[in-house]
Amino acid sequence: MNELVEQARNLVVDAQSVFTSADDADVLRGSLERLDGPLRVAIAGKVKAGKSTLLNALVGERLAPTDTGECTKVVTWYKDGHTYQVMVHPRDGSPAVQARFHRDEGAIEIDLDGRDAMSIDRLEVTWPSSGLRQLTLVDTPGIDSLTESVSTRAFEFLDPEDNDTPADAVLYLMKHIHSSDLRLLEAFHDDSVASPNPVNAVAVLSRADEIGAGRLDSMASARRIAKRYGQDGRLRRLIQVVVPVAGLLAETAETLTQWEYNSLKQLADFPAAELDPYLLSADRFVEAKPETPLTSLEREQLLARFGLFGVRLSMALLRRKVAESSAELSDELVGRSGLVELQTILTTLFVDRSDVLKARSALLAVERMCNVDPTQEGSQRLLLAIEQIMAGAHPFNELSTMAAIRSGWVSGKPADLGDLERVLGAGGTAPWQRLGLDESAERDAISTMAITELGRFQRLAESPFTVHDLGMAARVGIRSLEALIAANTSVAT
Amino acid sequence: MSSQPESHADVRSALQLGIQAAGAYGRPDLAERLDINLNKLGDPNVQVVVIGEFKQGKSSLINALVNAKICPVDDDIATAVPTVLSYGEEKAAVALVTPLEKPDAEPDRRSIAFEQVPAYATELGMADPNVAVKGVEIKLPRKLLQNGLVLVDTPGVGGLGSAHATAALGALSVADAALFVSDASQEFTRAEMDFLTQAMDLCPHVVCIMTKVDFYPAWRRVLEINQGHLARAGIKMPIMPVSSTLRAEAVRRNDRELNKDSGFPDLVKFLTNQIVAEQAARERMRCRQDLLSVCDQLGSQFEAELSALTDPEQAAQLMERLTAAKSRAERLKGQAAKWSTTLNDGVGDLTSDVDFDFRQRMRLITQEADAAIANSDPLDTWSEFEPWLVNRVSNEVVTNYRFLTERAAHLGLEVGNHFEVDGDQLMDDLDIHNPTGVLAKVSVDPTMEIEGPSKGAQGMTVLRGSYSGILMFGMLGSMVGLSLGAIPIGIGLMMGRKSLKDEKARQANQRRAQAKNSLRRYCDEVSFQVSKDSRDTLRRVQRQLRDHYSTRAEEMHVSTTTALQAAAQAVKVGEGERARRVKDIRAELSRIQGMRAKTEAIAATPAGATA
Repeated sequence: MNELVEQARNLVVDAQSVFTSADDADVLRGSLERLDGPLRVAIAGKVKAGKSTLLNALVGERLAPTDTGECTKVVTWYKDGHTYQVMVHPRDGSPAVQARFHRDEGAIEIDLDGRDAMSIDRLEVTWPSSGLRQLTLVDTPGIDSLTESVSTRAFEFLDPEDNDTPADAVLYLMKHIHSSDLRLLEAFHDDSVASPNPVNAVAVLSRADEIGAGRLDSMASARRIAKRYGQDGRLRRLIQVVVPVAGLLAETAETLTQWEYNSLKQLADFPAAELDPYLLSADRFVEAKPETPLTSLEREQLLARFGLFGVRLSMALLRRKVAESSAELSDELVGRSGLVELQTILTTLFVDRSDVLKARSALLAVERMCNVDPTQEGSQRLLLAIEQIMAGAHPFNELSTMAAIRSGWVSGKPADLGDLERVLGAGGTAPWQRLGLDESAERDAISTMAITELGRFQRLAESPFTVHDLGMAARVGIRSLEALIAANTSVAT
Repeated sequence: MSSQPESHADVRSALQLGIQAAGAYGRPDLAERLDINLNKLGDPNVQVVVIGEFKQGKSSLINALVNAKICPVDDDIATAVPTVLSYGEEKAAVALVTPLEKPDAEPDRRSIAFEQVPAYATELGMADPNVAVKGVEIKLPRKLLQNGLVLVDTPGVGGLGSAHATAALGALSVADAALFVSDASQEFTRAEMDFLTQAMDLCPHVVCIMTKVDFYPAWRRVLEINQGHLARAGIKMPIMPVSSTLRAEAVRRNDRELNKDSGFPDLVKFLTNQIVAEQAARERMRCRQDLLSVCDQLGSQFEAELSALTDPEQAAQLMERLTAAKSRAERLKGQAAKWSTTLNDGVGDLTSDVDFDFRQRMRLITQEADAAIANSDPLDTWSEFEPWLVNRVSNEVVTNYRFLTERAAHLGLEVGNHFEVDGDQLMDDLDIHNPTGVLAKVSVDPTMEIEGPSKGAQGMTVLRGSYSGILMFGMLGSMVGLSLGAIPIGIGLMMGRKSLKDEKARQANQRRAQAKNSLRRYCDEVSFQVSKDSRDTLRRVQRQLRDHYSTRAEEMHVSTTTALQAAAQAVKVGEGERARRVKDIRAELSRIQGMRAKTEAIAATPAGATA
């Protein structure tokens, strides 16, 4: 697939000779950088959805500041690098300047030096961190819930196919609301970083621990709800899957300190019958009697970090000796917060396909430039080249076929369409994922299954009863399967 | 508990006395009026609607209030139909169902087992696949409900900005109080604030209940922020933090301390001491006022006879005045009376004004919607456009309805004024001591902030219960529908992006035309229904106001006639008879005076009760 990035790079270089104005040159230089750098994933959604919290959990380090009130006001990029540095990119296009910052309980507090948040285009935080090696994360201020703006935005909904956006992929954070709610799709109106597209967007049911108001089985409920959302036709046109994540718990678990573990252990060792009445409510937990372990200030700290759900869950884990060290507790909590599932999905959907997504972003950038000024000498040549790359590269065909199926452009039996999406790599691009097998599937099993599926789609494609567009889509699937079989046998020999 | 039913004993006995007296003096019409009051006093029916966004803990709140698992609580499934809870000696549940194929039919009442309530009340509709459930009614033997408190759990489905919310606003306008439920997870949203502002106009008491305070450590801060929001919006409303979980736990453990922490004792106190007691006070004041008017009218014939007897020289003059009064009362009764013309003309004007107002609003929506459709592809936007349209239309329906309400209340006031002017003059003519006025001018205990039943209230009472909000919602939601299923693409899916784009543009245009058609049809249908509904409502208002005032006029007519007869009789009475008759009349008058004294002693709060 590196070939694809190479083609895209050549195209961008070519474009540099065509579009020479300062602005265009900037954009194209950006595109080149983007092809070489890690995939950019934006975290979008409404105010108070827990975007910064989730970002910290994904990085595994407390970087973005979080608070009860509205907190993130400027789009902030977090990327890996050799030095610790914060750059301010002003909106008026003047060159970026370095900003001072300090860390407050781990979070990076950036000194804007009296600049108005409105005048800043974005902040760029460079931070040496293993969590940022594969993904550059973009934190966004989140859209407001102003009803009027939403009703007008509804009509500005962008054509999800052809747009150049600063992020290659997006995580949309949504809260639990009813499926008939007008605001169900509000979370996806955040088009400042990317427009929703089922090929590069995933929804996260955030604050999942709140769904059951802190009961230990909250995550099970959240999973059920996420699954139902995932089947909603309107959401399917915008995103791939919905994953529930208890953001606060994930963040805390990823950054668990020894002191926190010790404190929780102390509480867990205290007789359950005496402690449990204090776990009934947040107030009671903080104001617990002096004979219980820890001071009320310390308990308040714990509560702020874990939430009532996290404290209750930790008690259960420690008492039942499921976790016996801070590392074990951290693992258990991360597992139960849903973060692992999210990371797996990010890997299969975004990281494994990052070359395609990045190349796609670069091609879209050039295409838009050509469309803005079609009379420019050479722009028709570039458009033709884009067309060639897009049509010739099979991964692109996979992506656009997937998008077409999701958008309802292809008619067919839901079961056929679902299987076709899977073969195209909607659930991950590894052979076992495309074939819906177990991870442990042997090469033989894969090849048998692949041949069966191939036969099935060939029949579908050639059948006179198959509508034209489904036939076209099935042929893309056939090609994916052929490639898969070829790779499988070449490994075998 | 300030208003147990027996605490109305004073009013009850005064009313019974009044009914007896009216019967004895040959005035069954007045007896009937008092009898209606007596019946109402026994069944106060104070409706409290529980309202709020999806998943804020409304059902948990009600369950915790009555300490029973009635309203279904689930992490995902939501309450789908209104659930009405009221007092009953024994537990009982009734589902209102209609056959699926006839959703508009009058619902059947079907008794259901208590355990089945969740199955009927949730959106799953799993109880019986052949029927549509319209509502569930539950009777429970609970002390809290004994005073006539009726709790209504509303579906929060669809969000506050939706047509559901409009139905909820409709329900609010007929409720006595509303509990607005919002959880402690975050501050009020914009939609919640908008809803609150509208709700304050429609309902006399709205209280915000902040739920789940057990789970959110920062709830105090959220409370503070919310109070700030309310203050900025100029809304005076208490916010009560509660925890249904703690309450349920407290009941299970019988833990008084925990119950106090749950915040529920305050809520219960508020419901019984303020909402129910206030309603009772209003009821008491209405009885008091009606009794005083009965006293006046009963006294008038004796007063007339007495003055004819004691002052025979003036008799002729008195007779003249009484005759004049009688003909005036006749006129008041008739079609040409000023109040009657005001009423008829007013309703006519109002009908056309309301209709015009609505049409104008719909026109604006159509224009906006047309522009929106022209600027987008319905395939992308329809899923949002449709709820937006329904919401926008239902908002206008409510605004229009509020316009109607205000104007109708104003009309009621005007009619009342005309009636009072004529009625007062009539009483002056009767030359009868008239301390209270036949109508209003209620003297209320000044320490109580209770609005006396004014003339305007008559109009409002008529309006309450006339709005078919729930029905309206069903109509609003079900009609837009536009099929945008998969559209076969003529040209190959992957064959060159340009031709695909052209094809897409062509199809988008087709869809736009389709969408505009659908929009027109929808708006037409809504206009048709709404204008029928508002015309019906106004006709009902007219009929009720007319009935109310013509009954009063009839009563006055009977009073003046009787007074005239009594005076005429008195003139003919012989000397010997006269002294005896005067004595009799004095006795009757003092009896009526006694009744009046008893009536005047009725205070807004029952004697001995703590407010």
